Amino acid sequence: MKNAIRLLTTICLVVAALFGAALPVQAKVRVVTTLTDLADFTREVGKDLVDVRSLATGVEDTHGVPMKPSFVPVLNRADLVVLVGFDCEHAFLPALLEASKNPRIQVGHQGYVDCARNIVPVDVPKTTDHSGGDVHPYGNPHYMLDPVLAETAVKEICEALVAFDPKDRAVFERNRDTYLAELDTKIVAWREKMKPLKGLQFVSYHEHWPYFADRFGLRYVGTIELKPGIDPTPRHIEELISMMKADHVPLVVREPQFPEKVPRLIAEKAGAKLVTLPIMPGGVAQTDTYIEMMDYIVSTMVDAVGK
Amino acid sequence: MKIFPSLLCLIIGATTTVSYAQKSESPLDSLKQQIQLLQQQVNDLKKGISASDMAKTAAAPSAPSAVDQKSVRDLEERIEELTEKVNSISGAQKQSKPNEFNPSIGLVGELVTSYRTQGKVETGSDRPGGIDINARSVELNVAASVDPFAKGYAVINASADPVTGEATMGIEEAALQTNSLPWNLELKAGRFFGEFGRLGYIHDHELPFVNRPLVLDEYIGGESRSDGFQINWLIPLPQYVSLSAGAGDGFGGDIPPSNPGDIRQFDELNYWGRLSTYFDLTPDWQAEMGVSGLYNPRTEDRGGVLVQPDGSTLTEKKRRLVGADFSLKWVPLRNNQFQSLTWGTEALYSDNVYRDSVSAGSIMGEDSVGAWGVYSYLTYKFSREWSAGFLYEWVQNNLNAHDQTAQYSPYITWALSHWNQLRLQYTHTESNHVLGLSNDDAVYMQWSWIIGSHSHGWQQR
Ligand SMILES: [Zn+2]
Repeated sequence: MKNAIRLLTTICLVVAALFGAALPVQAKVRVVTTLTDLADFTREVGKDLVDVRSLATGVEDTHGVPMKPSFVPVLNRADLVVLVGFDCEHAFLPALLEASKNPRIQVGHQGYVDCARNIVPVDVPKTTDHSGGDVHPYGNPHYMLDPVLAETAVKEICEALVAFDPKDRAVFERNRDTYLAELDTKIVAWREKMKPLKGLQFVSYHEHWPYFADRFGLRYVGTIELKPGIDPTPRHIEELISMMKADHVPLVVREPQFPEKVPRLIAEKAGAKLVTLPIMPGGVAQTDTYIEMMDYIVSTMVDAVGK
Repeated sequence: MKIFPSLLCLIIGATTTVSYAQKSESPLDSLKQQIQLLQQQVNDLKKGISASDMAKTAAAPSAPSAVDQKSVRDLEERIEELTEKVNSISGAQKQSKPNEFNPSIGLVGELVTSYRTQGKVETGSDRPGGIDINARSVELNVAASVDPFAKGYAVINASADPVTGEATMGIEEAALQTNSLPWNLELKAGRFFGEFGRLGYIHDHELPFVNRPLVLDEYIGGESRSDGFQINWLIPLPQYVSLSAGAGDGFGGDIPPSNPGDIRQFDELNYWGRLSTYFDLTPDWQAEMGVSGLYNPRTEDRGGVLVQPDGSTLTEKKRRLVGADFSLKWVPLRNNQFQSLTWGTEALYSDNVYRDSVSAGSIMGEDSVGAWGVYSYLTYKFSREWSAGFLYEWVQNNLNAHDQTAQYSPYITWALSHWNQLRLQYTHTESNHVLGLSNDDAVYMQWSWIIGSHSHGWQQR
């Protein structure tokens, strides 16, 4: 008898879990972002009206977040999925969206929030086959490292939240404006700090930095990767080193998800400094927010090569 | 006259109005509109300047208005530049218009070069022993949305006939898959690889090693191909639990459907199902497991009479197969492009029922043959391009469980990019005492490549 009651209770609990999960009882907007910068922006705009979860923890490659089945139930219940766009998430998001069985967040639906919608990409490939590598087929997707373009993403997120939950428009827009004002102030400060570095030449492992370089007046002269997503050949490394020597390129940027060995070797041979810079919040310690990350990037660069 | 601040306001105003008002438009369209708006407003401003200039010239020449005019000219130039840029981009987009409704297309090529010490009589392969160069598959993948409710895809494969050398085309998959059913359901219909186990529904060139595991070849009949329906339910729990069930004409690429001739009953179809779940052990360690089952209640006329090596015959009456699979992966979050570890294991138990007869024809009876098969592999990725692994296989013949064999295959894979991959594999097959077969050693060199569109499928994770 005792066992029967226990069994009945268990069944009830399971059934309750099954149906409870399907009932729309939540008050908060459930947002899943691919990367941590987007999660930070969503939290800033949505504050306690949103429940935010980022697929990436911050240390991953933006093109290589592991496709975990545990993401599927999270996406299944999401109201919005916020992404970088330009196929940045090609290796994991399309398959996850299909597996999520959530029609609300599929491409073209209201819950699919592509932050690149109003961004004009740089480095759009001239051909549409894979001779130029894999990961940047629609142009460079790393616009988030330009804080001015990041503001566009903040606006997109706000717009999507308002569209989903119009009754809280005033709150979202006020939060957005507060955050954008904070970012504006920071942008002025970052530009001021980066001023002495104007014209600085640098290379990096992956092609992460064209928008950043444009914004701060730096000269981004090459990558260690042969093409985005393709490891260098020995010849490419040789050529990169001789170019850096000839042009006196003083800085090698390594993103933390790439091994240090090759960048270190290149920096040593070319007589340049090596710095490790995060590409999204959480990439290195003490960069939990976008602003902290940009602070870190700017001060690390200035400390490395600034006078 | 404060033209600059007012222009700034206009730009900001135009940007915000456009980007906020036209949600459904492409960035290009909205850019074009922004530019047009700016152009118009600059024109208006110019009119204003010239009017005020004329008024001023009449009185006294003024420096600020010259500056204003210069700024306006600069702005106009920049607008012109922008317009050119936008037009060139949208021009490039227009050129692709005639192809707009074509599905995405990808082509896979695969060449398997091998040297085997035993001939095909001993190995049971349809390929010859000794040196063999086999264009194993040329696979065309097409996919597109059918309508708002479903996507369609097809995998068409041409492989070389071992006897004539001629490439014959076959439909591996051609199915419709819904994307908007309620209650977390998804329906597949058509020809597709049904969900059974872990590697049964992976195409040859996507396997982690050169050949499909023996047990899958033997018990499933190669790929888990079926003409039928399959429903998948993502159970609404915080935990990932996926349940699939299907029914189809046949099951397995090399196994024909039951009773092709006369009136077919429901019990002559194949029914299968799979339940799988997943656990994050740590952020870097993943565990996934599943159980599968396949049942064909009446297979009477399917394979015809199967003659055994000892001369006796068997006729399959029921097909029953169950399987369990487990995979453990180490996928470090930070550098998974450069390092990872996968351990995958699958065990199958075949319990087919046969009507047997001794060659003399006197004894007739029904018997089920319980046979086990297992494979287990470990792949270690140690750089972006290189990985290496080891595959162990052991399988009992599902017609005669005493007839068993084992294989050991170390392999190393060099992926120059996602679309260009070379693999070297050595396979040792143990002698089979029942069948009187001797040891076989083989070396394989597999080169596979993809052109065109490719996707990172859920099942290849
Ligand atoms: Zn990239």
